Amino acid sequence: MTIEEQVREIVARITRVDKSIITRESTFKDIKADSLDIVQALVAVEETFGIEIPDEEARKFRNFGDFVSYVESRVAQRERV
Amino acid sequence: MMDKNMAQNGKIKVAVDAMGGDYAPEEIVKGAVLASQKDDVEVILVGCVDILKKELAEHKLTNSSSIHIVEAKEVITEDESPVDVIRRKPNCSVAIGAKLVKLGEADALVSAGSTGAAAISAIQFIGMLDGVYRPALVGSLGSFAPNTVMVDLGANVDCKPHQYLTFAICGSVYAKKFLGIDNPKIGLLSTGQEPGKGTEAVREAYSLLKNSGLNFVGYIEGNDILNGKANVIVCDGFVGNVLLKFYESIGGYAKSWTERKLKKYPPLSALVKLLFDRLFPSTKISSETEKRAGGILWGVDGVVRVAHGASRAPQIANAIESAKEAVKANVIESLKIELAKFNQGGKL
Repeated sequence: MTIEEQVREIVARITRVDKSIITRESTFKDIKADSLDIVQALVAVEETFGIEIPDEEARKFRNFGDFVSYVESRVAQRERV
Repeated sequence: MMDKNMAQNGKIKVAVDAMGGDYAPEEIVKGAVLASQKDDVEVILVGCVDILKKELAEHKLTNSSSIHIVEAKEVITEDESPVDVIRRKPNCSVAIGAKLVKLGEADALVSAGSTGAAAISAIQFIGMLDGVYRPALVGSLGSFAPNTVMVDLGANVDCKPHQYLTFAICGSVYAKKFLGIDNPKIGLLSTGQEPGKGTEAVREAYSLLKNSGLNFVGYIEGNDILNGKANVIVCDGFVGNVLLKFYESIGGYAKSWTERKLKKYPPLSALVKLLFDRLFPSTKISSETEKRAGGILWGVDGVVRVAHGASRAPQIANAIESAKEAVKANVIESLKIELAKFNQGGKL
């Protein structure tokens, strides 16, 4: 499973929406995620991939695609180390 | 089925967020001392050890009192976002209390601090039961409608359609367990009885409830709330909270209005006052709601009891007592069994 698929599954599970409606362009508002959903998703992704997502970085995510790209870059960075 | 901790010493362990509430920690500690005088409860005060030791020293504990302190270095205040409990203050008193429940070191948690922070601690650190998205507050309407409960009373302002179904299941378990109603009638609160009424979420919830297998009687309007048409009235937490507070205020206002009207007839006025005091004491409605598992966050995989922020010692003692009763009544296990039926049917 790719990182994108894993992140999509986590977000879908937490927000209780069908994962097929989450595209890279979807915003959290589009999938009716509230602040608790977002924080829970961040924590679950951090735990799954063993990375940290600082709040200031999370605030820059405009959509699901930005979230996935950030996770991919952090995972790649960790693997290089 | 008794919890393993309970079985060991016969006491139910209740963790109390000693730093949460308008009068914390003084009134919380006082309430804990009161509650701990019963021999079937052990209170774990969670908060700053130095402060709590000082507070406890003010009280003469009886031999049977059982109170311990567990350190929590942080406190979450009312002006902070409850979501901060997860990433910024995971070691605040209410979060530590929730973790004690998760670890099995406490059987229940009581908090008079921010309801949002308590709910989020419960969701994140204890976890929800299968099929439940967010916790709900369930309460009996007591006096005027003794066989009616309402869900949600304020834990969820904006609700997704599937939440109304879990509210109905929680309310149904409450009505069976605490009101002794075998097959509770479920009504969905709306502005009319026709299926097209209500907001988008309410209309979607109507379909889910209609196909749920629950004893769904359709939409309930405001004027049906007290007439027994439904035993469980389902609504979002915004509507439920407004209604609850309005309902709780009726007794007091009805009494003073009647007294004013009968001012010219003192004997009659005195008689009416007596009748109101006997039959409709203004505090009765809320105290009944509080007693029977009111304030429990239903849907959490553990007993979490929230108390009013303005609670004083007697209310804290009462909250500890009702958390203990909820543990004894195995509400979590009952709800798990009921939810499993819906999870197996793919309805949640």
